[in-house]
Amino acid sequence: MSDWLGRAVSRAEQVSDWLSPQRQASLALLREAQWPTRKTEAWKYTPVHVLADAEFAAAANSELAAAEAIEGLNSIELVFTDGVLQSELSQLPEGLTIVPLADASSETRQWAAEAFSAAKPSKHLFGLVNDVLATAGVIIDVAEGVSIEPVIRIVHRIGKDCEAHNRVLVRIAKNASVTVVEDFSGEEKSFNTGYAEYTLAESASLEHYRFALQTGAALSVGGSHFNLADKAQLNSTLVGFGSELSRLDVDVNHTGEHAFAKLNAIYLLDGNELFDLHSTIEHMVPNGTTEENVRGIVADHSRAVFNGRIHIHRDAQKTLAELNNRNLLMSRDAEINTKPELEIYADDVRCAHGATIAEIDKGALYYLRSRGVSKAQAQIMLSFGFINELVDQMPNQVLAEWLRPQLRQRFANMEVK
Amino acid sequence: MLSIKNLQASVEEKEILKGLDLEVKPGEVHAIMGPNGAGKSTMGYVMSGREGYEVNEGSVTLDGVDLLGLEAEERARAGLFLAFQYPVEIPGVSNLEFMKAAVDAQREAKGEEAVSSKDFLKMAREACKQVHLPAEFLKRGVNEGFSGGEKKRNEIMQMLLLKPKLCILDESDSGLDIDALQVVAEGVNSQRSPDRSFIVVTHYQRLLDYIKPDFVHVLSDGKIVKSGDASLALELEEQGYNWLTEQREQSA
Repeated sequence: MSDWLGRAVSRAEQVSDWLSPQRQASLALLREAQWPTRKTEAWKYTPVHVLADAEFAAAANSELAAAEAIEGLNSIELVFTDGVLQSELSQLPEGLTIVPLADASSETRQWAAEAFSAAKPSKHLFGLVNDVLATAGVIIDVAEGVSIEPVIRIVHRIGKDCEAHNRVLVRIAKNASVTVVEDFSGEEKSFNTGYAEYTLAESASLEHYRFALQTGAALSVGGSHFNLADKAQLNSTLVGFGSELSRLDVDVNHTGEHAFAKLNAIYLLDGNELFDLHSTIEHMVPNGTTEENVRGIVADHSRAVFNGRIHIHRDAQKTLAELNNRNLLMSRDAEINTKPELEIYADDVRCAHGATIAEIDKGALYYLRSRGVSKAQAQIMLSFGFINELVDQMPNQVLAEWLRPQLRQRFANMEVK
Repeated sequence: MLSIKNLQASVEEKEILKGLDLEVKPGEVHAIMGPNGAGKSTMGYVMSGREGYEVNEGSVTLDGVDLLGLEAEERARAGLFLAFQYPVEIPGVSNLEFMKAAVDAQREAKGEEAVSSKDFLKMAREACKQVHLPAEFLKRGVNEGFSGGEKKRNEIMQMLLLKPKLCILDESDSGLDIDALQVVAEGVNSQRSPDRSFIVVTHYQRLLDYIKPDFVHVLSDGKIVKSGDASLALELEEQGYNWLTEQREQSA
């Protein structure tokens, strides 16, 4: 056990609240957990030694500038600084309830306790750490049949040398719909675990964004996890920059039939950055659909890890599942470890998966050049276009307009080597 | 303006052009007709500098500039424009961004200042209007999801913005219904001027009803075997291209 983990466990022993029964179960698992090494399959390409002996201040209260609003976005902003909620929750639209974890009513506690760790796999070490230490966070509840117009934007900021653990539990009732943005940024030395669990009831609809934009020494391990009931609709876009340690786990569980999940993910890495995306799609029942498109550009000495697993259970007949991971390497020193996995136990399914390390399309390059665009500029336009294609698909174009210049800026600083 | 002399070129070591000669003066419209496989598209690709097209002999000069010594983008900046038969789709790169980059690059090469985004948008909208493309096509990925006809019109839209000296239209009529054909032809005709020339490559005479050529050439087996005025196109329409094969067999 690492020093850091040892401290986490002893801190967890002090935590006592209404989630204690759930936390105790995770703590038991955590005590048995092995610190990940190169031999741990799920962490094979993602060393966590930067964390092993690191020390951070817990529950600090950093002085950070106010979170930047997104121009033109109609939003409800939930800003967490070092894991502490800064925003006042007043005047919410009808049918929407948002409460800090600590303030949950007894009724809310009942379903939230059930939802806690229901979508997230229990074996994940940092997920367990989050289970036992995340006293900060919110519960978001969308009532039956309600469509929430404003986007719920959860902004996570962590100050220098701080550590924060945050948990978001979202319940979207039957026929309800909502958009949730999980927004992470920062570059100073820090560590956070941010886990969100979404429970979608029958015919519920979720538009989801996770912007994992930590860079530099901002260490981050987190996940977004979804349980989809009958005919639930999920449209999720993930965007990742890399840092010394940046790991994201995404799990989608088709627990009801005729659910639809669209997952688009983009990563854009430079310098010595590392970004690791693990996704697991569980098709437990028949007639589910998953479309997953993951695209990345890795430059300089950066490293991307993608592990995409689709598991089709024996009963999940008529599943449609597609998984595609495409990468552009901008430098000889950059590295991509990609592993799409299909595990199929049903016989009447349509599945496809693929992973490519792509080069720029020659025909497209010639086309741009034939109009007078220089080869160098055409390469830049096409490389950026490669990820921009997924930005174009974001249902919320205000967010796309906000994101695009950030990606463009980051991309402009990359060098082709 | 354009002078092609004894152009011989091959693709993957297969000889396609076998001594092509063509002189185009400012303001002229030349039609190149011929059967499939004669080398019509190859001519455009070789002239525009597509990779994989090897020139073995001959020269191509545009206003005295040796095109074959230039990179593809430099040829475009020298005033060459090829309207493609099959324009590629480039999702993620918007039509507007693409054309702005192209126009800026060409202006820069001429020592002119870049156009402001606002002015360019106005110009681009105007060009779209002229070829009956909704302005929203500027925001879409280059040719992404466009129908065959929309792609061809998008090529002409680009030509309107780039104002080249010499335009090669590679089967810009293929796959078009009569309305779309007229739109394409009107776009081309609006650009006819004493200092701009066109080479219209086509399999069928139909397009030439709308774009009247000054000269018609028959390309067969990599060279021009017959030249004449617009009436030659009508003749070809009647006779087809079989006589070419017969002629070749006789000479063999």
